[in-house]
Order: sequence, then C-alpha cells, then structure tokens
Amino acid sequence: MNEAIAADTAVPGQPPRQDSGYARKVLRATFARWGARLGIAWILSLLLLAVFAPFIASSYPLLMAVDGQLRSPLLAHLGPGDVSLLVLFAGALVLIRLRLRWRQRFAWLVAIGLVAGVLSSLLVKPPAITIYEVYREAESAGRIDWLIRAPVPYSPKDYLRDQGDTGLEAPLESDHRRHWFGTEENGADVLSRMVHASRIALGIGFVATGIAMVIGVILGGLMGYFSGVVDIIGMRLVEIFEAIPTLFLLLTFVAFFGRSLYLMMVIIGITSWPGYARYIRAEFLKLRQQDFVQAAIASGLPLRSILFRHMLPNGVAPLLVAASFGVASAILSEATLSFLGLGLVDDPSWGQMLNQAVRSSTFNWWMAAFPGGAIFLTVFAYNLIGEALRDAIDPHLNKG
Amino acid sequence: MSGSPLLRVENLTTRLRTGKQQITAVDDISFDISRGQTFCLVGESGSGKSITALSIIRLLPADISSHPQGKIQFDYRGDDGSSTRVDMLRNSEDLNRKIRGARIAMIFQEPMNSLNPVFTIGEQIMEALQLHRPGLSDDEARSLAIAALEQVQIPDAGQRVDDYPHRLSGGQRQRVMIAMAMACEPDLLIADEPTTALDVTVQAEILRLMRDLQQRRGTSILFITHDFGVVSAMADQVGVMKDGKIVESGPIDAVLHRPQHAYTRQLLAALPENLARPAARQPVPANSAQEKPTTADPLLQLDNLQVHFPVKKGVWRHTVDYIRAVDGINLEIPRGDIVALVGESGCGKTTLGRAVLRLEQATGGDIRFDRQSITGLSRQQLLPLRRKMQFIFQDPMSSLNPRLSIAAALTEPMAVHGIGRSPADRLERAARTLEKVQLRADHLWRYPHEFSGGQRQRIGIARALVLGPEFIVCDEITSALDVSVQAEILQLLLQLQQEHRLTLLFITHNIGVVEYLSNTMAVMYRGRIVEYGATATICKQPRHDYTEKLLNAVPRMK
Repeated sequence: MNEAIAADTAVPGQPPRQDSGYARKVLRATFARWGARLGIAWILSLLLLAVFAPFIASSYPLLMAVDGQLRSPLLAHLGPGDVSLLVLFAGALVLIRLRLRWRQRFAWLVAIGLVAGVLSSLLVKPPAITIYEVYREAESAGRIDWLIRAPVPYSPKDYLRDQGDTGLEAPLESDHRRHWFGTEENGADVLSRMVHASRIALGIGFVATGIAMVIGVILGGLMGYFSGVVDIIGMRLVEIFEAIPTLFLLLTFVAFFGRSLYLMMVIIGITSWPGYARYIRAEFLKLRQQDFVQAAIASGLPLRSILFRHMLPNGVAPLLVAASFGVASAILSEATLSFLGLGLVDDPSWGQMLNQAVRSSTFNWWMAAFPGGAIFLTVFAYNLIGEALRDAIDPHLNKG
Repeated sequence: MSGSPLLRVENLTTRLRTGKQQITAVDDISFDISRGQTFCLVGESGSGKSITALSIIRLLPADISSHPQGKIQFDYRGDDGSSTRVDMLRNSEDLNRKIRGARIAMIFQEPMNSLNPVFTIGEQIMEALQLHRPGLSDDEARSLAIAALEQVQIPDAGQRVDDYPHRLSGGQRQRVMIAMAMACEPDLLIADEPTTALDVTVQAEILRLMRDLQQRRGTSILFITHDFGVVSAMADQVGVMKDGKIVESGPIDAVLHRPQHAYTRQLLAALPENLARPAARQPVPANSAQEKPTTADPLLQLDNLQVHFPVKKGVWRHTVDYIRAVDGINLEIPRGDIVALVGESGCGKTTLGRAVLRLEQATGGDIRFDRQSITGLSRQQLLPLRRKMQFIFQDPMSSLNPRLSIAAALTEPMAVHGIGRSPADRLERAARTLEKVQLRADHLWRYPHEFSGGQRQRIGIARALVLGPEFIVCDEITSALDVSVQAEILQLLLQLQQEHRLTLLFITHNIGVVEYLSNTMAVMYRGRIVEYGATATICKQPRHDYTEKLLNAVPRMK
C-alpha cells in the first residue's frame, strides 16, 4: 500500500516528457543522415538570409555619424514586411525556448505573425521616396564623419545611377566597386538581388504547400473517414483538380489579374492539394479500421478529436515527406513562371534573374550560374530532407 | 528405435544480431527425434521455438545469425538409398538445399501468406517436385501433385489442382501446404504452429490428417505449438522451452502429468481449464437452461438483430447480394451476468459485438439497452449511453493510439463525458483505474510501445473502465496473449466484474476460457445463434449438432 500511496502523490503534475517518443525518434533518424543535415543547414541559412536580408544587402548605411549625431538610415527605411518578419523571427526564437506544446507554439506563432503584420503596416512608415545614392554622394563629399555599411552595400533595386553608365559587369570586374556576383543589365548587384529573392523562394514554398496541405488534409481526411458517397464525390473532385495544368492556370490568371506573388501562392496551393488528399485518404481508410479509432468512437469522442487527435498524427508521416517534395516543386513553379517573364515585375526572384540571363544578347555566366545554382541547391536540399524523412518513417528500412 | 535417431540436436546455440545487439535466441538445447515420432516444442511467444526450427532447416539469414556451438546431426538418405550422418551446421549450402524440401520439409503458421498467389497450387507442388527430382516430366509431376492433394483430402483434386490459392479456404491452403511438404516424401516434417491461424474444427481435421500421414509414411514430425491441447493430441515427446532453453523434456505423459520443472507446472496451471474458479460465483439462474431465457432484468435485449453487408457489382455499384454477417439474433443479457459468445471465425460474432455498441450499423431488428431502443439514436443522443457501454479489443497492438500517452488515452473520454472536475482530478481517477488493473500510476506518462502485450490489454481494460460502464463487450481479448498472461487477464476481469457489477459479453473461440469465465453461453454459427443456455449444461450435453462438433474438436489435455 505504501508504494501505491507514494505513486499517487507523484501523479498529478507535469508529464516528465513533452512530445511523443516517435516524433523524436523520426527526427533523430532523419538528421543522422548527412544529406538531410546538409539540406537543413542550407534551408536554415536561407531562412536567416531571408529574415535579415535588409541588413545583409542594402545601400543604406547601417549606422552613420553626421555632425556628431548618430543615425541609421537602414532602420529608417525598413518596410512593414521587413519589420513583421523580424518580429516573427524573434517570436519564434522565444517560443522555442519556452516549454510549450507544439500546437500552442504554432498558435502563438500565427498570432504573433498576425499582430506584427497588422501593427507594422499601420505604424511603420518608411520614406516614400527612396534615393539610394544620397549617402554615397554625401560620403564622397565628406559630409559624413564615419559610417558602417551592410556586408553587401547595394540594395536590390539600386541601379547605381550615380556611377555613370553602368550595365552588365562580371564579378569583381570594376576596380572601385565590389560586386561579388557581378551586376545585371540595369546595373543592380546580383548578390543583393539573390539575397532578397530568397524571401520569395522560401515564402512561396511554405505558403503554397501550407495551403495545399490544409485543403488536402481536411478533404482527404473526410473522404477517408466517411468513405462511401463522400469518398466518391471527393475522389472525382481530386481527379478534376489533377487534370488542371497548374502552369496554364497560372498563365491565365496572370493574364487576367496581373502579377501578384500572393495570387501565385494561392493558385499553386489550390492546384496541388489532390496529392496530399490522396495520401491522407489512403492513410485514414487504413486507420479507420484500427481498434484504437473504434475505441475512440465507442467512447463517444467528438469527430474533431477522432479525426485530428487520434487519426491524423498516425497518418501524417507520409504527408510530411510529400510536403518536402511539394515545397521544392512550388519553388520550381515560381521560378518557371518568372523565367517565362510572367513573374513579379519589379521584385527580384531567382527565376526572373535566369530570364534576364537568357534575354541578354551575350552570355553572362554569372547571371545564370548563381541564381540557377541557388534554385538547384534549394530544391536539392528539400529533396534530401524529404528522402531522409521517408526512410526514417519506413518501418521496413528501420534497422532498430 | 534403437541406434541413432533421425535427428539429434546437441548443444545448439543460435545468436541473432539486431543492430549492434547480440541476443541468444536458442541457448544450448539438445533433443532427439526418432523415426516416425513426433516431438513437440511448446512454449510461450519469444521462447525461441521457431528459431530452433529455422536453425535446423538452416533458413536463418547468415548475416544476422550465428551458431557458436552445437551439432545438428541428421540421417541423410541419398537418392540411391544409402544413408549418411550429416551435420546440418557444417554442410555445404548445396547439400543443405538438397536436404531442404526433399528430406526436411517445413510448413508455416500462416496459410494465407505461404502460398504464392500468382501460381496455381498444382504449379507450386510440381515445382517443388521437379526441383528435387530433376528427371520428372510435367505429366508425371502433375499426376503426383494430384495424388498429393488427394492424400490431404482435397475434394476434386483433379480439378482443384489448377486453382489459384485465393479460391481455397484457410484450412484447404494449409492442406495444400502439407501436400507440398509431403510430396517429396521427407523424413522429417517441421510444422511451425500449423493450426494456430485455423478454426478449432479445421484444426482438428488438420491434426488428424497429419497423424494419418505420419502413420502411413513413417515421417518424423517436429511440431511447434503453444497449445497444450494440441501437444496432448500430437506428441510422443515434449520439450518445454523458455528463454531459449529447454527446461524440461521427456515422454508426453511424464511431462504433462508429472511435471518436474516449476515453469512447466506454472504453464499447466495457467490453462483456463486448470484455473481455480473464484468461490463467490453467482448461482446460475434456474431458467437459463431453456432455449431462450427471459430474465426479470435484462440489461441488453437483441430483437431479431441483422447486419447485412451489401455486395456491390458493376459500374453503378448496384447491390447484387448481401453478406448476412448477423442474421436475426434474439438474445437477452441479464444484468451482472457474463455471457460468452462462441463461434468460429467468420460466423459474425465480432460483427454482432460491434453492432451492439453501434460501431456497426444494424440493418434490421432492434437493440434495447436498459429497455431503451438504441438502434435509431443519433450520434448526440447516443453520447450519454456511450459511457455505459464499452468495448475491449482483441489486438493489444492496435487498440491503443501509438501517439498518445496513456494519460491522454484515459482522460480524454472522461473529459468528453464530464467525469471529474478538473484535469488533475481526471488524472487522479486514471491513476486509480490503472492500479485497479494492476499497473502503476506512473505508467500514465508512458506511450503504448513501451508496454508488453499483456500490459496493453490491461490498459485496454482500464480505458473501458474509466467511464464507469455497466456493460462491456470483450472481443477475443485474450486470443493474442500467451497462456500465462491470459490467465492473469481472465482472473483480473472476473475480479473487476464482481467489484463493479459489470455485465460482459465475452466473445471468444476458446472453449476453455468460456468454461472458466461464463455462466451463460451462446453458440453462433453462420450469423445465427444455434444454442443458448447455461455454460455447464451446454458443455456437458450439447443439443445442436454444430455445438457438438465444436466441442469435440477442442483439443483437450488427456
């Protein structure tokens, strides 16, 4: 009896472990592979580049002293998007430190993102006119006591108007300006454009795949759980959507509604959900017969809990694999579209830079090699992670 | 059988490598099998029985297994009739391949997987024959194959020889497997739990067939099983295995009736027929010997219950026929009683159990729980009843959500039904329930994969109990468990039933369990209940032919 009492007093309180052993095991198995490690390292460094893009590549000085006064033009020129990204990043760092459940963390992250987005669009007002050359001119005129520049001291849309007739320049060609990756036809720094374009690459991958997964999981889950008529209708819907050529739809929408990054994300998202729906449907059809699901039904648990608490975590593994490949293909879709000249007009993206390389009359290797290499590495990184994940959850390959 | 036995295993040790670990699966065992004799290896799961068999026939992959010591001496009868003594562990792979199939044949547990679905059964037997007798022409091999099928009593062997495996039932497939194994007239047949996956009546036929063949051919059999009833029906010699060692071996009578080793005694005592029934049993109601008793206070009444599954065909999926899984069942379960539902696989007993809890939609008839009809209730209306009726599942591996801790699995249903004031209170109740099923409260924070099969089944019982149910359907809850674990679970269940005044519908195919546990039993056959009454009466004097056949087929210890 003593033992029982001692055990009783130990019961209420926090569980000794936070998340399930399975998730941890899969992650460990995934990142035991070199490929996956390299992949995640590349993605994480891209993430850092994307979040801190204005601090890494900008024509505005980070810090300068004029007449004994310290000023930071860079901070003054940060846009609402930049600010909310930074807030989100800081929030994510804090959330990782806190001991919370994954769902709570996710909810907090979404909340922080929304609040940061709304507040920054209301409060952050960068100067409407952006003149990149003022600080360079001021510096050469000696009006600035001292200044610290960003590592790449050129903004992506800084066409170096003050430098005379600049155009295409190979890497490190010019003597008095340092362009590590050369410049494009208008004279803007390629490296700077690539750094800023990583935002689009990452954003489109995550958002488009996220939309596809949400639709796919809900529809596929309902199809698998209810089967019967719901399943028949759902599968026909899946077939209809699979028959739509994404690129054609994108071209049509761009022709009608103009170019918009968000439109692109949504379209890629709503045309690529059928794959996820099929995966989840198959998993749910299998899981539905499992005894623990029957036990949940017999206990009278609500449908929401049966679907998302008891079935989804057991069927989500193949979905994650599909998602990592999906992110890669979304990045490629955007690159394809930009390459065809239907991407964003003004903002740089990797695909659009490739397009520039092709349009030029001479072959400028730096215009093709660097953005092309970035696309290749990113897609490759996602595929490496996807493959490692797939092997990690495959019980037949599991050697214990 | 003087001189050298057909097979002599001496100090055999088998090590298996998993990852970086080495485990000794078979640990220094020795036994002999004489010609024409049956040696039974009996033991619980994981005791190394199958590994022993695979070691003898040398089917373990060389890269994960090793034999640091031992000899497996086998009398190899060459094609010319000469016999030489060979050691299976030191033979060339060539010679072993010749012995395998031709001189030592093996049949496996799962007849559904052991035949190749894309070849006809005839082709598969012919292939085995021609492999070991290269001169055989196709016609000869075919007629030999038909003869082999006739030997195992497949009706219409001449026609069935061209059938694909999916057209045969489980029992017939096992017969084909035996035909294939016996076609080359082996000296030793290794049978690894050949009847475990089969129904008890089919099992009885297969066992009889194996004994017949053995007598006619003089084949020796190494028979692996966990069922002492089967042992007593088949064996001349018995070896009891535990943790890779043979703890006791000898002639069948001696081992079964005068067991020397404590483990053997423990195993025999755990058999349901040897379990002591608790003293405080309710008296069997006087009227329950009738065909359909009408108790004063039935908790559950089934009135002509039907569950028909439509068979759909064609483009428009119109219904061409129905599978009548449950076909008009009338049953009353008195409050506080344990009713056993017995039947063979496919008779609809599981479907009935699930239909009672509305996990399967009834297509006809009525279910009344506590005098309230529940057949037409909606999900919402059913909710308050759900806590009163629970289900315990057969397979302890799949009945718990692998991604949820035990705490979550136990407290979530409580929260839905408003049991307990706060999460802490619910945790407290969950801990109490775990202790009731003889687990520790700190098991709450573990995940299902950290438990053994028996422990999981206890958790399954705890999950049913947390809601404070009145009625529980137990669907074959011990059939996936070892006999000693089964005994513990059955005792626990009886104790809980009396403590909480539970009413149980206990679905099983194991007559021994029925006799131990239940007052009342119902025998189900092809979707109908053919006999219903007091367990003791039915087991002594079955009235229906099927019940009699079923009871006779049960292998019992002699």
